Amino acid sequence: MYQILLVEDNADDVELTLRAFRKSDLLNTVTVVRDGVEALDYLLATGEYAERDANALPDLVLLDIKLPRVDGLQVLERLRANPRTRLLPVVVLTSSAEPRDLLTCYSLGANSYVRKPIDFKQFSRALQQIGSYWLQTNQAPPIPGTA
Amino acid sequence: MIVTGDDPFRAVFASHPLPMWLYDRETSTILDVNDAALAHYGCSREEFLRKNAASLALPAVDRRHGTDASTNDGPEFELMSHPVDFDGRPAVFVSVRDVTALRRVEHALARAERDRRRMTVEFEEHVRERTVQLQAAVSELEAFSYSVSHDLRAPLRSIAGFSQALIEDAGDALSADAYDDISRIVAAAQRMDHLINDLLTLSMVSRSGITREPVDISDLANRILAELGDLSLTRAVGMRVQPGMVAQCDPRLVRVVLENLLTNAWKFTSRREQAWIEVGEISRDGGTAFFVRDNGVGFDPTFADKLFGPFQRLHDASEFPGTGIGLATVRRIVQRHGGRVWAESRLGQGACFYFTLQS
Repeated sequence: MYQILLVEDNADDVELTLRAFRKSDLLNTVTVVRDGVEALDYLLATGEYAERDANALPDLVLLDIKLPRVDGLQVLERLRANPRTRLLPVVVLTSSAEPRDLLTCYSLGANSYVRKPIDFKQFSRALQQIGSYWLQTNQAPPIPGTA
Repeated sequence: MIVTGDDPFRAVFASHPLPMWLYDRETSTILDVNDAALAHYGCSREEFLRKNAASLALPAVDRRHGTDASTNDGPEFELMSHPVDFDGRPAVFVSVRDVTALRRVEHALARAERDRRRMTVEFEEHVRERTVQLQAAVSELEAFSYSVSHDLRAPLRSIAGFSQALIEDAGDALSADAYDDISRIVAAAQRMDHLINDLLTLSMVSRSGITREPVDISDLANRILAELGDLSLTRAVGMRVQPGMVAQCDPRLVRVVLENLLTNAWKFTSRREQAWIEVGEISRDGGTAFFVRDNGVGFDPTFADKLFGPFQRLHDASEFPGTGIGLATVRRIVQRHGGRVWAESRLGQGACFYFTLQS
């Protein structure tokens, strides 16, 4: 069972993403957090997620850029600065096609950058491809401390 | 200058309106003086001849010796000395020049120069303020289009996504009419997505800098035409691209220009059995104008000036779909290169779009 963390503040996008994953044949659990602070707390086991096992990281993070409180770019920067989450696969999933967002995300160490298509069929296909590639095709980075 | 006792110059010397005198270079004894000098110093010839030449600099205000001219509104004089031969003796010829008018002009010039400097400083300050305001406006515009690209698309995804979900969830329960209604909603959301994307391109064009480099226009046109051909394999379009066309321009932006013009040509020739598109160059305005010509539906030349305004469309959207932003983007790019764009056509007779990439 693959673990996916979806960082997304738009309830409609959350629903459409979950719907797309339900239709895929990947066995997965999607955890949803609604802003950058919650995402960092979850992944680094701090704040309201202090009780969580910090070593139990998701297999894949789907990260929106525009988020309340702490935005996706800052989340990415903090994750890459932490030895435990430095190599965690992060796919930026956003509405933006601004060249500077692409540049910043890749500079900060995003593994992939996907612009959400408007058409739901294309959106579903994109998510299924992301899931299938990052969870099945790709060799995951070693868990820190075990390599 | 030679002055001798019986020289005809003596007469000129004696009656000259400028104060003048001569003194012995070795003894500083005054040798001769004219009437104008006596009047100027206010003394008799005898008194003057008793003076020592060194003391004579004083009554006349001599600017060269440190008088501050700017605070002195009275008359000003300058002493001019020339070594001469006086009856075989080494002497010095001195004349007094009234420089009052000259000084006034100099003062006026200095004042004008001070004013000019002050105005330059004020002007530069003004330009700096304006630049700051402009930069603020530009970053506001950037924030705006950034926000548009993020926030305006999200509801569209919901509209299109949940319409699609509705079709899937309701399945066979949907009537053909209901299915058609939902399809229209999805199509409208997609049109709006194209509109947003085109607007973002237009705003990107206005914001981005221009980097000129040699661009192979022929190669670029051939590649875009090949891409258009790949998208509609059923159409047979005759085309000719003049080989060897090169321009100094921004390759990314000029690609947008050619993409727009060629996509239009492709679109507006779709009703022709024998569609024809031609790309070439001609001499115009002392430089090169590139053109894209087609044998499509053309446009009414009455509206030629409307073509390049944003959201202007001369054709029914159901006949020829489009956002009406493409040619506005073309014009913006061409203008940013210092060039111009214009079009010639007659309704039903095809169209030809010209553009230059230098002023």
